[in-house]
Amino acid sequence: MRLKTQMPIVLHPSPGRALSGVRNVALKLAASMAIAAAVLTAACLLMGYGVRDTLTTFFLSPFSSGYTFSEIAREMVPLIFTGAAVSLMVRCGQFNMFVEGGFFAGAFAAGVLAPLLPAGTPLIPLICIAAAAVIAGLIGYIPAKMKAALGINEFVSSLMLNYIVFWLCMYLLHEVCGDPDYVNATRYLEESMRLPFLNEDLGLSSNILIALFAALLTGLFLFRTTWGYRIRMTGDNEKFAAFSGINTTHSIVASQVIGAVLAGVGGAVFLLGNYYRFSWTSLPNYGFDGFVIGIIAGNNPFYVPLAAAFLGYLRVGALQTSRMGALPNEVIYVIQALVIILFGARLIRQQISKSRKKEGR
Amino acid sequence: MEELLRMSGITKRFGNGILANDQVNLSLHTGEIHAIAGENGAGKSTLMKILYGAELPTEGEIFWHGKRVLIPSPKAATALGIGMVYQHFMLINELPVYQNVYLGMEAGRFALLDKKAMRAGTAALAQKYNMPVDPDALCGTLPVGVAQKVEILKVLARGAELIILDEPTAVLTPQETEQLFVQLKRMRDDGRTIVIITHKLREIKELCDRVTILRGGKNAGVFAVADVSEQEISERMVGGSVNLKVEKRPARAGETALTVEHLCVAGRGGKKAVNDVSFCAKRGEILCLAGVEGNGQQQVADCLTGLRKHYDGVVRVLGHDIAGMCIHQVRGLGLTHIPEDRMTVGTNQAASIYENLISLSYDQGDRAGWMDRKGLRRKAQADLETFLVKGTPDMPISMLSGGNMQKVVAARELGCHPTVVVANQPTRGVDVGAIEFLHRKLIALRDSGCCILLISADLSEVFALADRILVFHDGRIVARIRDVEHTSEQQLGRYMLGIEQMEVTGDEA
Repeated sequence: MRLKTQMPIVLHPSPGRALSGVRNVALKLAASMAIAAAVLTAACLLMGYGVRDTLTTFFLSPFSSGYTFSEIAREMVPLIFTGAAVSLMVRCGQFNMFVEGGFFAGAFAAGVLAPLLPAGTPLIPLICIAAAAVIAGLIGYIPAKMKAALGINEFVSSLMLNYIVFWLCMYLLHEVCGDPDYVNATRYLEESMRLPFLNEDLGLSSNILIALFAALLTGLFLFRTTWGYRIRMTGDNEKFAAFSGINTTHSIVASQVIGAVLAGVGGAVFLLGNYYRFSWTSLPNYGFDGFVIGIIAGNNPFYVPLAAAFLGYLRVGALQTSRMGALPNEVIYVIQALVIILFGARLIRQQISKSRKKEGR
Repeated sequence: MEELLRMSGITKRFGNGILANDQVNLSLHTGEIHAIAGENGAGKSTLMKILYGAELPTEGEIFWHGKRVLIPSPKAATALGIGMVYQHFMLINELPVYQNVYLGMEAGRFALLDKKAMRAGTAALAQKYNMPVDPDALCGTLPVGVAQKVEILKVLARGAELIILDEPTAVLTPQETEQLFVQLKRMRDDGRTIVIITHKLREIKELCDRVTILRGGKNAGVFAVADVSEQEISERMVGGSVNLKVEKRPARAGETALTVEHLCVAGRGGKKAVNDVSFCAKRGEILCLAGVEGNGQQQVADCLTGLRKHYDGVVRVLGHDIAGMCIHQVRGLGLTHIPEDRMTVGTNQAASIYENLISLSYDQGDRAGWMDRKGLRRKAQADLETFLVKGTPDMPISMLSGGNMQKVVAARELGCHPTVVVANQPTRGVDVGAIEFLHRKLIALRDSGCCILLISADLSEVFALADRILVFHDGRIVARIRDVEHTSEQQLGRYMLGIEQMEVTGDEA
């Protein structure tokens, strides 16, 4: 008797859980705060800092001034873009790490292109963002097509690709298109090349609005369009999708390319809003942050801004704490790791029970 | 005769709603060879797994030597004295025979193995039951027949009073089978009780004392083998009274909808899964591909629906040769498909009922890629009502019972005005009410001029629906039945089991 009930691993809450989802998320957020408090307390006691001062700084300082508050927004921009990109790809069952490389390449492309355009060109930022999108999309097509056509694992190939892209950008920055008066940096971005500030004194850029819009658009794409439906069905159960006549190869490629485009746009938007030059000399890890956001948001683009706000808030708190000369900034990574475990617990449990089932009998 | 074991009222319902055993009773006497017979999917293996502790029953009790026992694990079963030899051997190929036999109960002191004792023990057991096995041979080097002996020795070494063998002869040559039977009889004469799972009638007659027949997860009789004929056993296995008769007018066959010419599909081990099969099906009729599962019907369905791309021969759907077409194109011709495996192919278990219902129509009425959500929802709601699904569109489909899940699949596949429907085991594991409902739907579709290709191993379904029957055995069509009404279930059963063949004339459709 054939009674195989192999179910695909569900990497996002099933619809039934969505009903209790809001309460669930609220509980987890509260638990995350408790974890953060516990870790901080333990660290303070171990290292001899004042517990109360540290906790106050950590939790309240992000709201203490307009500046720190706008810092949260600044932290959120890359998290939202990469989080939305990851959500889209994971919904299709694709674990493509090119979010990292795409973000980097997008920022690099925008930083190089903007000063090259003749002065007086209208809408320079938009042109740069579009260029970043195209470049990231084209590179992102490589691992996607390799997966679809040859079955090469996108995780490994995209991870490798990140380094190719990174070192290529470094070469170009150093040898070809850097500012001759600077080491490893592109030319200065004039005001006309940058995205406008919402409030210049606070350093609050308008790019946060673009990020929020991008998350909304990704969510609508995923849940309201035929493309999104095909992508989700392919990710949930490829056999079912194929049986229904959906071109799964197409979905797999599309999800990865669109994810890469989102990452590239994110890089450009972030650079043109918050920087005056492109001067990154290492991979900034925003792509990996995207996976953290994806886990917290249950890979739902609509929830991505909330998850990004939460993580941004914790990071600014940690930054402020270290600025006060209390705990080192790295404490945030301990907290972050515990939060991931908390949000990913169901996933981990599923994986374990699945592997057990495979071994037994 | 003393009763060794009694299983009473065993019901096993799997998480997905499939009812594998339904109030099954089994009684075993000490010192008998007892056959559990039934078709694939009759629930034999599940029942034995429950007895061996590999599955837990949903309901029911087990009595061992008259005392009620719980068997939560194979370990517990072994401790009671119940052993099982699986169809797929569980030996460690890198270890010698004697270490496999004593695996997990090694003789020895402290951390040292007493190899001598184990070797001697293995040799003694082998001698006692006349099984020529070299204790020092590596298991990986043994031929299948001998590996099976090692499995049996393993069970014997654990002192099993009751030995369960799952289709032991499936892997053996006729000579090895002969030998095995001699050895099994010797074990019986030694006071051990043996249960063998089989669907080979000859073996039951030759080897067994009594037989318990299962059909569709239920008891279909217990007999002393001496008192029944092979004929009678086969009828009980596949046949039975038709419990539902859906009213049906004679078919009015129209133009040809499906043509299959000289279809061949490669199977496992160089064998052909489908061997030169030709037939055609017309609009307005239900053509049934009957047969015991695994005789090639599944592969034919896969070819027709575009799921399988590699085959020899020609398959035409409504006049179009579908070679090289993708599933989307084949479906575009007006063909829909109720697949055999509704859990992984027919549904997306991670999605809602609504999302499962729209997988064929999600792009209808869309504007530049934006789905027509209102229209789709309205249609989904209507589908749920028409097909009497007990659920709301936003419920996860995994919450539905097997019957309701199948209704969702049917609503999707039958609700979009198809011209050709391939229905593969459409009512398996589905409750009686849903069966009747689905049968009515299929007949209504036929009457509206749809061509229906039904693939079923269930005789009552075949007789309830089919206008014509093609019987498959071993990848070939062994009988083409036009006069369904005047064919008996017994006759059809004999064709399905390969006992008889109809003279097939070449020109018949």
